[in-house]
Amino acid sequence: MSLNMQRRHFLSLMGAAATLPLTSRLAYAATPLTFQASWINDAEFAGYFAAMDKGYYTEQGLDLTYLSGGPDVIPESALIAGKADVTLTTPDTTIKAIVEQGAPFKIIGAQYQKNPIGIVSLASNPIKTPQDLVGKTLAVPPVNVISVEAMLKISGVDRASVNIVPYAYDPTPLIKGEIDASLDFTTNVPFSIKQAGPDATSFLLYDFGFTTFNDTVVVTTDVLASKRRELVAFLRASRQGWDDNLADPAALPPTFAETWFKGTGRSIENEVYFNTAQKPLIEASGGIFSMSEDSIAANIEALAAVGINATREMFDTTLLEEI
Amino acid sequence: MGIDLRRIYGSIRNLAIIVIVWEILGRLQLVASGALPPPSAVVLRLIKDWGDYPGHIGATIFGAGVGFIIGNAVAIAAGVLFALYPLTSRVARGLNIAIFALPAIAISPILVLTLSDPVPRIVLAAIGCYFVTMTATVVGLTQVDARSVDVVRAYGGGKWKALWLVQWRSALPVILSGLRVAAPNAVLGSILAEFGGGGRWGLGVYLLGSLGRAEPDRLWGIGLVATLIAAAAYAVFALIANSITGSSQSVTVPTSLLRSDEEGRVRPLWQRGALIASSIALPFALWWVLLLALRVPAMIAKTPAGLLDYLVLLPSAPIAQGKLVAALAQTLPMTFIGMAAGLALAFALALCSQLWPAVVRAFMPVALVTQTMPLVALTPLLVLMLGRGTAVILAITISVTFFPAFVTMAQGLLMVPRAALEVPKAYGASLFTQLRLVSIPSSLPYLFAATRLTAPRALLGVMIAEWLATGTGLGNLLNQSRGYLDYGMIWSVAFVSVVLSVLFYQVVVVVERRVLGRFGMASAQ
Repeated sequence: MSLNMQRRHFLSLMGAAATLPLTSRLAYAATPLTFQASWINDAEFAGYFAAMDKGYYTEQGLDLTYLSGGPDVIPESALIAGKADVTLTTPDTTIKAIVEQGAPFKIIGAQYQKNPIGIVSLASNPIKTPQDLVGKTLAVPPVNVISVEAMLKISGVDRASVNIVPYAYDPTPLIKGEIDASLDFTTNVPFSIKQAGPDATSFLLYDFGFTTFNDTVVVTTDVLASKRRELVAFLRASRQGWDDNLADPAALPPTFAETWFKGTGRSIENEVYFNTAQKPLIEASGGIFSMSEDSIAANIEALAAVGINATREMFDTTLLEEI
Repeated sequence: MGIDLRRIYGSIRNLAIIVIVWEILGRLQLVASGALPPPSAVVLRLIKDWGDYPGHIGATIFGAGVGFIIGNAVAIAAGVLFALYPLTSRVARGLNIAIFALPAIAISPILVLTLSDPVPRIVLAAIGCYFVTMTATVVGLTQVDARSVDVVRAYGGGKWKALWLVQWRSALPVILSGLRVAAPNAVLGSILAEFGGGGRWGLGVYLLGSLGRAEPDRLWGIGLVATLIAAAAYAVFALIANSITGSSQSVTVPTSLLRSDEEGRVRPLWQRGALIASSIALPFALWWVLLLALRVPAMIAKTPAGLLDYLVLLPSAPIAQGKLVAALAQTLPMTFIGMAAGLALAFALALCSQLWPAVVRAFMPVALVTQTMPLVALTPLLVLMLGRGTAVILAITISVTFFPAFVTMAQGLLMVPRAALEVPKAYGASLFTQLRLVSIPSSLPYLFAATRLTAPRALLGVMIAEWLATGTGLGNLLNQSRGYLDYGMIWSVAFVSVVLSVLFYQVVVVVERRVLGRFGMASAQ
């Protein structure tokens, strides 16, 4: 152990010695920034993959580390634990954590202007409005139950009239008719259902009063203070990547087939479908990641319906202005 | 022990029957409106997807393999220590049970947060191995024929000499049977950590990517590959164990088992009190020290003091308590029913393995699939067949409890001294009578050991079912708290489930001591 420590110490001294003559160059060297994604590699993150492949982060002087997500990866936790500087979250959980636990988070941008989560059902047993859910079985990931409850409340549907069961991101029970509907990304799962045979129909929670962003770009107040320049650079390079990617949603996903998407078990056609479907939800008149005053107000109002008291101060739009 | 060709043919034939029945059920879409794919479709899909597999298999084998080596090395070392110095076993008792009872679904997110990939996989795989192998080591070293040890002692040999010359040999088959169970545990632990861990490679990651695609044949293919990896590890240790068991058994019936000095000694009350207190304090101390060492921020990582705040002292504590109590009222009754059902099935199966060994051997691959097939992939199928009520909770609970219980009980039946069996045999007793008069009573220690193994797993099984299928109880509370970033509740659920598991375990131990004491037997630690 102590030998190991000595060796490591020795090596770091060697490293320091080696870089000494090059100190002047260090000023121009890329500064590290770690980005925690909120899910496994799919089209949801195509803009960042594009920006990495095209070297936009490097051009901005960033050495970006990309961490894939997964169901146990709670993005906000990665910030608190210091494993990542910036992450993507669902705004309801982030704001709940700020209000209830005093978590030091700031929202500095929003990838989805309209939250892509929605109610997905089969065309043969369609559920087109929240009212259609009465007496039906709806599968919801436990994380999203509050979002659904908000939408039901806003739409005047009694929560007790809907049978909500857990959803584990597998559409099989829906296809087989064991459940009537599920809550999922409407940009993604209808493709899988169609592949298995039946046609799917869906509506966004956003269109029935739950007017929130999704994949909000979140940092801690500490990182916001100490890495402001890097965060602006991150937003700028990511916006470039997203602009490239959305210019033709079918163009870039195939180029990630052997890199970012390799071995995920999903097909490129699926990613192209996803990328095409998410384009209108991401694009914003003020540029990608925009948070207009109107949309912030809409978020605050929607969250108030479920008793989450968001305030304007939780959203910091000044970095977007610097892009 | 020669190879009996007829028995091998019999096993192959039975396995073939199972596959053919499965194929027919799948082809005709008889199970769960066609959600069970026929084996031919699974294999074809596996061939088609094969290009994706090597990276994932490599990552899983790496995580499981390193965890298996580390977990078992620690387990055997600890087992030797506990067997030689029983005092240490009493101090570490609380810690051992706590490690055994840690619900993997609760610690996985915490591991993922505090450690970097691939360490969470290794830790979860190692934890999956530790208790099984440690227990097997202690059982093997203590359930030794006292006469052989007496010989060493009489010639002036000490503890270590006896360990080396006698105990080690008799322990080896038992340790190997422990490793046999540990191997699938390691694979499952690695996959579980991968599933949530956010890495790029591993069968768990692959499963996750495939989950949303409504392709059950792909999910079964991944499960099949996981099973084959586990089965290969299982088979290696089973083969080694088979070749050793035959040569190390006593020829005559031992009249007494080795009794350690510790067991016979009656300690004064204050010493016993101190032992119990230190046994309880050790897991808490370790919990605190680990969190300090890893420097996890207090908001995420609750120390014992942080948990006390959350559950008792803070103004919000009554709300948290209310949620916990409501969840427990749903979870506990199911746990008891599931535990009883899992044990009953394991016992029945262990008896069958004596009466109709070929049938059980054919059943083993199916049993192994239930151990390594990630439950997340099986849940839609189970839900389609059984709904989202009591039946599905019981099915999942039985599937996570019966296997280790079965292996332990079957081992107990195998370890019955041959000479004792010869007596009823000589009098012309049937196989069933032999079981009733000799095998079952003399394998009682293993029956209790199996019950102790099962108790915490039953709770885990119920929680998994609640999380994936029913949306009730502790399992749902844990998952929902994760989504709400309610770290206090995540720790509370983990803490309560560990405490309950330890409690179940202690209850079994008390009953065990009473019963075995009456039969004049030593308990299988």
